[in-house]
Amino acid sequence: MARVDDDRVFKALADPTRRLLLDRLFERDGRTLTELESSLEMTRFGVMKHLRVLEEAGLVVTRRSGREKLHFLNPVPIRLIHDRWIDKYTAGPAAALADLKRSLEDET
Amino acid sequence: MTVSTDLATQIYQVFIKATPEKIWDAITQPDQTARYFHGARITNTPERHISRGPDGATWGDGPVREFDPPRRLVHEWRSLYDEDMAAEQPSRVTWEIEPQDGGYCKLTVIHDRLEGAPKTAASVSGPGWMFVLSGLKTVLETGEPLAS
Repeated sequence: MARVDDDRVFKALADPTRRLLLDRLFERDGRTLTELESSLEMTRFGVMKHLRVLEEAGLVVTRRSGREKLHFLNPVPIRLIHDRWIDKYTAGPAAALADLKRSLEDET
Repeated sequence: MTVSTDLATQIYQVFIKATPEKIWDAITQPDQTARYFHGARITNTPERHISRGPDGATWGDGPVREFDPPRRLVHEWRSLYDEDMAAEQPSRVTWEIEPQDGGYCKLTVIHDRLEGAPKTAASVSGPGWMFVLSGLKTVLETGEPLAS
């Protein structure tokens, strides 16, 4: 399931409209579909479809507040991708430089 | 970088491969929270939520509003580890554990009622809760804390 989740997150992020929706929620969280729709030149149905993909990837979480459905940005899956895919590849060079610094300083 | 302007309600969600009981223990017992919650030793009882730093300083202290193991925990939040934030109004943290297929649970953390605590809201948003929850997932799934 963890791998399926990663696939969903990467797929969800591989679309400019969906990234824009995440940015909108980052600017102001807890928005309704109507609010999100008004900032995009797209049909309500189109925005709903994109929000569903984001929700299935866990990047957007919805809550009911009275009669309204509010959309919240959930950044945790991006953090997990970072832990799994970014840390790993940036740790190497950084660690190598730290080792180089240590060996050079030890010589003096 | 754009700064989020409305942080009064924040929702974080993560899927963890663990039983509800294991997750419950991990969020209510100090020996376990110390491994992923910035070193904080947090005790949640039906009455009280108490958080202590590694040096024993009080980082948080407030009433527990709901205590329903292993499903739901609601407690007051005050950031006593910082003088400015400690002076702000208390906010509320809700933990929801929902079992899913395949041995997973969905853990949702809602930090709300932050209207009277803008500094706390900014401090816990984004990397704050994110770091705690990814750390919690790692501890429960691998038995090891995240490398710092």
